[in-house]
Amino acid sequence: MKSSVHKRSTYPPRLIGEGSGVRLNLWVVAGLTVLLVAAMAGSCLLGAVDFRLDEIFHSPIFWRLRLPRVVMSVLVGAVLSVCGAAYQSIFRNPLTDPYVLGVSSGASLGAAVAILLGLEAWLWGVGGMALVSALLTVLFIYRIASIGNRMHTTTLLLTGVCLTLLISALISFLMVLNQEKMDSIIFWTMGSFGSSSWTDVAVLAPVAVVGIAVVLYYGRDLNLLLAGSEAAQSMGVEVEKVKRVLLLATTLMVAFAVSSCGVIGFVGLIVPHAVRLVAGADNRKVVPYSMLCGALFVLVCDTLARYLLRPSELPVGSLTAIVGAPLFIYLLYKNKKRY
Amino acid sequence: MIELQHIGVSYGDRVILNDLNAEVAEGRITAVMGPNGCGKTTLLRCIGGLLEPTAGRVLIAQKEVPAYTAREMAQQVAFVRQHPQTDFEFSAFETVLMGRNPYQRHLQNESQEDWDIVERCMRQTGTWHLRQAKPAQMSGGELQRVMIARALAQQTPVLLMDEPVSNLDIAHQLEIMRLLREAGKTTVIVIHDINLALRFCDDVMLLHDSRLLYHGPIADGLTPERIATVYGVTAHRTDGQVIFDF
Repeated sequence: MKSSVHKRSTYPPRLIGEGSGVRLNLWVVAGLTVLLVAAMAGSCLLGAVDFRLDEIFHSPIFWRLRLPRVVMSVLVGAVLSVCGAAYQSIFRNPLTDPYVLGVSSGASLGAAVAILLGLEAWLWGVGGMALVSALLTVLFIYRIASIGNRMHTTTLLLTGVCLTLLISALISFLMVLNQEKMDSIIFWTMGSFGSSSWTDVAVLAPVAVVGIAVVLYYGRDLNLLLAGSEAAQSMGVEVEKVKRVLLLATTLMVAFAVSSCGVIGFVGLIVPHAVRLVAGADNRKVVPYSMLCGALFVLVCDTLARYLLRPSELPVGSLTAIVGAPLFIYLLYKNKKRY
Repeated sequence: MIELQHIGVSYGDRVILNDLNAEVAEGRITAVMGPNGCGKTTLLRCIGGLLEPTAGRVLIAQKEVPAYTAREMAQQVAFVRQHPQTDFEFSAFETVLMGRNPYQRHLQNESQEDWDIVERCMRQTGTWHLRQAKPAQMSGGELQRVMIARALAQQTPVLLMDEPVSNLDIAHQLEIMRLLREAGKTTVIVIHDINLALRFCDDVMLLHDSRLLYHGPIADGLTPERIATVYGVTAHRTDGQVIFDF
């Protein structure tokens, strides 16, 4: 037996490349969670009005504005990153982001129409319109791309891209015709937590919790889907069912997230990749790590967005790119040396 | 072990397989042979439950294929495909570990047993030293052997292989074919090398004009006449070998 020569593997075995055990490292999860909670606390203290620790709990600004905003940014960051990771595996395409199925453009169109109709005054008027429009857009794309009871992935992606371009043209058109409302439409399409309230949290939180749980549950199936649909099936994955459940869960999550805070780009594309570069491709690690890193990332970006030029605000969507792109390029560069 | 009853497959007007009947006995290695595009892969996909035939039915262990769940099916049949798809960066070890999926529940981690099986399968296929390698760092032949290790890790009674040795050099071809003999599984293998098939396979299914021309012991099946019919080339048999006229 060769095993007398070979050093017997210990349990859990340390086999897999630099810094990436196969298992989810609970210490990493705990560490990221502590970091996230600390960042949330820090973020609550910073803003247009700075608090002293002893007065913070008496302030309506803290309870009504800042805390829901912090919670929303954490939820949205987690949702976008988890959905990005899931989509990249389902479609086996590293360039996929959570908006690829037209959720963002659908939501933007709905929001633009709602703003033009003056529904901003209504509770969830803009958000509601955005949500309905986002879901209709995705349904339309699914209809185009399904053949019998199977989904044709390439058609799905291409229809999504095409419809996104069409809708952004429509939105530009609407903005040119209604220049007086251009600012609020632009601000919406760039994403902001400026108007986040406990109502937004109450709407998004249940969807996010259930949706993320579903994606975590199917972690290993996501790995197998990366090997191709047929390979996944021959290794015991009910491919069409799993895809359907995952697409439903992720689409709902993204649609709810987008309709409450607008389109925040970059997060869903980059965070899962950054996690993969550090932790390996196994989705049982990528999904939970992305959830925590994404939450942390959006929280930090939103804090910067409202702090840097206070009392005025930057759109958080631009900050995610400005902060995230250099970080990601650094990771790519660092990783290049390994080969 | 595998029963094919009146299998027919057609895409629109194009008939790929027509009224194909065969029974594959347990533990035998059956070569599927025929010219390119004659439906060998299609037949394999039907057996593996990846393609529903337009007519007829496939039984694995006396049970019809559609009656299996994907998980049960994956405990019966492992499939090594022609072009493995590997875009994302799973290491060879993680790839082989995926073969244990049909035995695991959701949210359950792999056990020590799973790790041991993976190690054994990787040693058998000579890929243990590649365990940390990513797809981009492996040659085509190495990748193919990793895929074979993954199929072995599924620990199925039936093994379906679509040209598993086409990418391998002669030493590795022989190694894999010997391994298949030792494994003792019911194996259906698409293979082009006639002499390799003659040496290592028990039976042959010869496909010709979308029909099964011959199914039986390979030594009797690959006569010069049948080779001429199927491939349109002239061949002679000497000492159990097939020699071609060039």
